[in-house]
Order: sequence, then C-alpha cells, then structure tokens
Amino acid sequence: MIERIDVLIIGAGPAGVAAGLGARREGAERVVVVERDWDLGGILQQCIHPGFGLRTFKEELTGPEYMHRFIKQAHDEGVEFRTNTMVFQIDRETNTVWTMNKERGIEALNPSAIVLTMGCRERPLGAIRIPGTRPSGIYTAGTAQRFVNMEGYMPGKRAVILGSGDIGLIMARRMIWEGAEVEGVYEVMSWPGGLRRNIAQCLDDYGIPFHLKTTVTKIHGQDRLEGVTVAEVDDHMTPIKGTERYVECDTLLLAIGLIPENELSRMAGVDIHPVTGGPVVNDLLQTSNPAIFAAGNVVIVYDLVDNVSDEGLIAGASAAKFAAGKISADVKRIPVKGGENVRLYSPQYITGETDATIFMRVTHPIEGACKVFAEPDLYSQRLRYARPGEMNEVHIKAEQIRNAVDLSEITIDIQPL
Amino acid sequence: MSEERKFICVSCPLGCGLTVTLDDAGEVVKVEGNTCARGASYARSEVKDPRRVFASTVRVKGGKLPVCPVRSKTPAPKGKLFEIAEAVAGIEVDAPVRIGQVLIHNVCGTDADIVASRDLEAV
Repeated sequence: MIERIDVLIIGAGPAGVAAGLGARREGAERVVVVERDWDLGGILQQCIHPGFGLRTFKEELTGPEYMHRFIKQAHDEGVEFRTNTMVFQIDRETNTVWTMNKERGIEALNPSAIVLTMGCRERPLGAIRIPGTRPSGIYTAGTAQRFVNMEGYMPGKRAVILGSGDIGLIMARRMIWEGAEVEGVYEVMSWPGGLRRNIAQCLDDYGIPFHLKTTVTKIHGQDRLEGVTVAEVDDHMTPIKGTERYVECDTLLLAIGLIPENELSRMAGVDIHPVTGGPVVNDLLQTSNPAIFAAGNVVIVYDLVDNVSDEGLIAGASAAKFAAGKISADVKRIPVKGGENVRLYSPQYITGETDATIFMRVTHPIEGACKVFAEPDLYSQRLRYARPGEMNEVHIKAEQIRNAVDLSEITIDIQPL
Repeated sequence: MSEERKFICVSCPLGCGLTVTLDDAGEVVKVEGNTCARGASYARSEVKDPRRVFASTVRVKGGKLPVCPVRSKTPAPKGKLFEIAEAVAGIEVDAPVRIGQVLIHNVCGTDADIVASRDLEAV
C-alpha cells in the first residue's frame, strides 16, 4: 500500500516544526515531519539560555521553552511526527524519500511535496588546519554545549575559545557559571562574529578578555590538551612574528562558523548556491526542483530563530500549495543580485506570488549611517550601521513585482550615506 | 559632577549602545542611545540593580536525560548569580519534570524562582 502524504518535512527543529504548521494552516491534509533524534526541537533543546522568540512571543524564552510552544501548536493543529527516523536517500527522478526506523523498517515515501529543514553544522577543527598535536579536549562549541546542557558533563576546567560566533560566547558564560575558567576568546577577523549583546552579557559581565585579529597558531599536548599558542594576525590574516603567546588550557572550544547541512539536498539534485552553501530558492522557498522546498539554516544561516520559524511557515505553506496544484509551473523568476557590499543573501529569485523578505549579510562592517535598498526603486531603509554579524532585510511587496514593467533583475545592496 | 556610564543593551538582539547620565546622588537623569522603552528601563535597572536571567541544568533521577534545563523565572541580581549556580548544582529532582515546575522557591532569598524549562519524561 502506498501511503499518501501531502507534505513531508525532513528535520523537526524550529524550521521543520514551523513548516508543519505552515502546511497544515494552508490546508494540507497529511503533514509528516521526520526526525532522526528521539526528541523534537533540534538544536534549540540544548540552547538553554534565554534570548529566543522576543519578536514571536513578545518575551525572551530559552530554546526548550520556545520549541515547547511551537511543538504544542503543531500537535494541536494535526502535524504528525515520526522520531527516531532517519532519511538516508532522496531519489531525484521520483522524489521518493527513503526512511529508516527501528520499528517501521525501511520505507519509501512519495509525498506530493518535500520541505528540507535539516539545519546546519558547525565548522570543525579540520576546516582551519591549526599546526600541532591532536589531543583530546578540543570540541566545537555546540558539542560542548550538548555535553554540559543535555548530558551533564563538563568538557574541562580552563578553556580557550577560538572564534566569536554566538554559541562560543554563550558557552564562555556557561563554562564560567559551572565553575570553569575561560582564559579568553580569540577572533581572527577584526570584528566579532556574534551579536554585541552576547559580548556584553557573556564576556564583559565576567571580565573575559576578547581579542580581535588574533588566532590560535599551535596546539600543544599529547593525550590531553595542555595549551595553545595564540598570535595576532595582519590584514591578510597571517600571524605576526613576535606576537606569539603560550596559553595554558585543557579545553579549546571552536566557534568558527556554521555550514548549511545539505547532503540530502545534493542527493535530491537541487541547485546549491556557492556562497550560502544552501539550496537556491525563490521567495516561496521553492528550490530548483519545483516539488522541493527548503527553510531555515539549511538555506542560509540566520541570527535569530524567529526568522527561521517565519521561513519555516512560508516553506510549509508553499509546499501545501504545491501539493494542491496551486503553484503554477511558470511562476515569474526574477533574479536577485547582491551589490558590492553584500556577501550573501537569500532568496535568490522573486516571483511576485507573495510578499518577500530578502535576508542578507554585508561583507564588512559599515559603521555610521547607511541605507539598505533594492533597485529598481523597490525598497529603501536607513540604518544606523550594518555589520556582518547581524543580518539585514529587504522587504518587497508582491504587488510591486506584479505591477512592475520590464523588471528583469533586482539588485540589493547597503551603501554608506 | 554628573557621571556618564556606557554599556550595551541586552534586552533584544539589536544591542543598542546606551549612555546613562547620573547626577551626584547617583540618580539617573538621562538615558541615550536606546531605541525602545525596554532599553530605557534596562538602562535604569543596570545602574541601580543589575539583573540577569540565570539558566543552567539540574540533575534528574530516572529521566530520559540525566539533566533538565532550568532558568530563573524572573531576572535575578547579577551579584548573586554564582551563589544561585551553587544552589542549582546542589539539587536533584525526580523525573518526570514538567515545564514551568518550580524547583527552588526564592532562590538564595532573591524572590526569583528556579523553574524547569522543558518537559522531561521518566524512562
């Protein structure tokens, strides 16, 4: 018997749960979210600090509290979940999704539409090639976060943090609260990776030194990490001779970036954007395969979970429309181009079928008044500054696209005023 | 002589740079740099009585996970956070745990309750 599923969603983190809601609210009858973990909620279950959902719920929740609300809504509104279920293959010709589960065995599912919500992964040590030994005691910040917050283990007593992404900053405070020492946070760039408020409330509050344009150049220790050498870097990110310093530590946490997790997307044959590392999508969050949609950090790494949930709702609704035959095969496809100060952005195409938000990051900090805009003459907003660690947005109304004459391309950029 | 203090607002992800002007008596006379009312009240609280929400875990007996996340339901005095951390580290609770369940009343006499921040089923 072939099971009929309207919308199948892969991954029950914030994007996937919201996609389930979005699909049900758009009228899809059978909406199934598959999750490989035993629990729902994804990475937010280990993000136990407050700071989530201020825009959505008008209060700051911890990660588990934020997911609790969404999961409850999803259950109440008829979203089905299958936990302990791994998707191991998507056939690109037929869009068949192969799942594996201890009780159900291996199943081939043929949903009318698919939503990819697999999130992202942390850049590991191997991505940055630090000379020296490979002792124990080196973890990505998220791995350490899982140890401390879900498994009840402390990774060490004296930590150095490399990279200033938000998870690293949050873990600095977490280690301090659990009685460990944090010697310092080292960031190779000349600007912080994470939000300013996390530098204030996680580092400044506890007197943790924050070193910009400084990196770890060597790892020391045989079985267990004993220390690292840190050095300042020049404008080409080359370590400056004579600035090296030995720092004793038993733990090195890496907060050096996040990469969209698209192994399944590649298998499914959807186009992957070379800069975002996620599927190329239009404003319906539809990929290059019209039956496959994508949302959240699998598409582009967001700063805020509120944005991930919003995108999940859109992708779920779009997938439900597609499943019901309500998205025509010849929707407009107006390309979005990034200007000189834009490093990455999503979506890359605008259809005019919906009001669209384009999320983007600048290549470098622009301090002082500037404007974010979309041309020709679609959007303009004044900003006090633009920084790579904080996404900017462009909003375009569906009617602006529908009423436009000869619109062949949209350019987005941020320029100083 | 008035005094100026500068810090980053932590009330929302914007992270506005705040400047608070205090008079001789240490009273707030001016808040600048905020873009909303939350920022203004954060600035006042930060100079008079700085507070933070505390979040950690407690040991759980018989749960699907060995620890359950907890938080202070309301912000607690910043100067008491380490004392609160000790108190939270000192307790163990039985599964199942329900989200919002109060695990420590008035932790360290701060009038903030420590509550569970997720449901955790028993094994």
